[in-house]
Amino acid sequence: MVAVVRSSSEDVTVTHHASQRRAYLTLVLISLFCMMPFFWVVLAAFDPKASQFLQIPQGVTLDHFKNIFANESGMRWVLNSVVIVGSATILTLIFAGFGGYALSRTQAWWKRPLLYGIILVRIVPPPALIVPVYKVMLFLNDWINGLINQFTADVEQQQMLSRMFSFIDGYLGLILIHCAMQLPLAIWIMKTFFDAIPKDYEEAAALDGASQWQTVRHVLIPLALPGFAAAGLFAFINAWGDFLMPLMFTSSPELQTLPLGMFRAFLRVDAIDYGFLTALAVIYTLPAVIAFAFARKFLTQTFSGGVKG
Amino acid sequence: MSHIELIDIKKNYLGTEVVKGISVTIDQGEFAVIVGPSGCGKSTLLRMIAGLEDISSGELRIGGKVMNHVSPDQREIAMVFQSYALYPHMTVGENIGFALALKKVDKAEIKRRVMEAAQMLELEHLLERKPAALSGGQRQRVAIGRAIVKRPKVILFDEPLSNLDAKLRVQMRTELMRLHREFGSTVVYVTHDQVEAMTMAQKIIVLHNGYVSQLGKPMQLYREPENTFVAQFIGVPKMNLLRGKLQGSSFYLQSGQVIDIGNGFTSGNDLQLGIRPEHLKLHATSAQGGWTVDVVERLGVESFVHLHNATMEQLVVRVEGDCELAADTQVNLQFDAASCYLFNDKGQRLLRKPAIEQAAG
Ligand SMILES: Nc1ncnc2c1ncn2[C@@H]1O[C@H](COP(=O)(O)OP(=O)(O)O)[C@@H](O)[C@H]1O
Ligand SMILES: [Mg+2]
Repeated sequence: MVAVVRSSSEDVTVTHHASQRRAYLTLVLISLFCMMPFFWVVLAAFDPKASQFLQIPQGVTLDHFKNIFANESGMRWVLNSVVIVGSATILTLIFAGFGGYALSRTQAWWKRPLLYGIILVRIVPPPALIVPVYKVMLFLNDWINGLINQFTADVEQQQMLSRMFSFIDGYLGLILIHCAMQLPLAIWIMKTFFDAIPKDYEEAAALDGASQWQTVRHVLIPLALPGFAAAGLFAFINAWGDFLMPLMFTSSPELQTLPLGMFRAFLRVDAIDYGFLTALAVIYTLPAVIAFAFARKFLTQTFSGGVKG
Repeated sequence: MSHIELIDIKKNYLGTEVVKGISVTIDQGEFAVIVGPSGCGKSTLLRMIAGLEDISSGELRIGGKVMNHVSPDQREIAMVFQSYALYPHMTVGENIGFALALKKVDKAEIKRRVMEAAQMLELEHLLERKPAALSGGQRQRVAIGRAIVKRPKVILFDEPLSNLDAKLRVQMRTELMRLHREFGSTVVYVTHDQVEAMTMAQKIIVLHNGYVSQLGKPMQLYREPENTFVAQFIGVPKMNLLRGKLQGSSFYLQSGQVIDIGNGFTSGNDLQLGIRPEHLKLHATSAQGGWTVDVVERLGVESFVHLHNATMEQLVVRVEGDCELAADTQVNLQFDAASCYLFNDKGQRLLRKPAIEQAAG
């Protein structure tokens, strides 16, 4: 009797294993299929004879990368992207920190309407925003360029300042527009995060004699670090991947960002250089991966044990 | 001087009055316990003393100085939060020393004072740890350390022991009393647990619905409760209350039972007889005793017998040692006449006339 029971239960585990193995096999196949283009990009980027087919490279070369930086304005694109997206991320975090904190702590009646209003910006598809935003930016652009022209009569200086501070075809404009696009989600993340930080910490700090700034600096920011990491990561990766805004708001080649550079290289009809394009794709991917690795350290850093027994 | 004076303190939250006019003086170096059921305004009152909450009206003085609009850190007070609120990203040592570091106290001096506090609380070996790596009791100690390192004149506690298990709670009670003796600060301690109040307090302030229901020394509240709320709040199990009318020295229950409560009270209707479980004596009888056993809680050293009578009035009797009465047993009760309290229908205590007056009248 006992033996019968045991053998039947073994049967069950055996079939269980078999079906599990089949499931895993299917999953592996699907993931291989999905990752194929990615393999191709990485392999082709280092392949001296890169083609549009997935192939094991004959040798390894860095020529494609050298080509990007030496013959094309690759360095310029990377720097533009890093500076613009980096500044936008930092700006987003500053605003989201203050905004998220305020929205978390206030009890005012406009709290909910405002929160939903903010997220509405995120729901509207970006292309639908282009026309009104462009209009506003154009207006600001005229104003700032008027200021610049008053400030200096030297044409070279004017150009330089204009490149920096213009709202259209200038760094400031791109940074602000990225920041504005990423801010809603970041504010929501920070607001939710601050909701989870008990007011007790701030009150304890107040009793310890901390000023407002000291409370922010020594208590709130350290406690909110995981939130900042999450919000910053999302902001960075979204802005880094954004193609539409740089396309709309820049025209001069000096301001070209990585996705734009890549796009224009791809459009060149004469001959498609797969090695060049894939190397560019690798460079384009790298910062996002680095950003993630950097944020991960903080993301997983959960603070426990401050309150309750 | 660091006595605390509350003069007609009130607190409104958006029109609802939570603290409704409290006037209390807490002497320098006193261990005062504010006790009351949950939601009665204890935390609100404490937070007003701390300066974390505005005072709607009334005056708060600490050491004779009006403190209504003085910022929390200028009041020379420290507070231990119910949640402890230890900064999780700082070590134990940094947590304790944070207030001093903010004041730009010399590094060596901070170290010395943190060490001193840590020694008092037996935390020396934990100074490098983060709060997450501490047990509940250790966190509690760190929270206290963070308070005493500032050498405050007043320390406020908001239900500091409610997150600890029962055994640790008993241990921390004695430890807090020891610290208070060593430290000599004025202590205002908030709790909903009357046992903590009775064991630790030099002065108990019983809060009820935003009012002070009674204040005094622990045994004073136990012996001379001014109303049914205090009578039932102080002491476990709570005081028994029975409705009925008084004629001479005979108290008539609704069931028709008659209890002799002694002389001195004025006769009347709609009264409440109060008697503590420890002042009742129980006699098992074979005859109809008028009281039926519901449940017996046997704790070994004492037993609590729950009874009811014909009109379903409930009573609890404390019996020394074990008690093996079965449910539904009929028993007789003996009321200790001298330990009977009388309250009117509003719950105010009625006093006996002194014996001389009794003789004269
Ligand atoms: N910030 C607030 N806004 C509105 N009502 C509050 C606020 N804080 C406390 N209360 C109310 O005040 C009353 C007393 O609260 P509290 O002092 O925390 O009670 P206790 O500490 O005695 O349990 C409660 O009814 C509570 O709902
Ligand atoms: Mg409370």
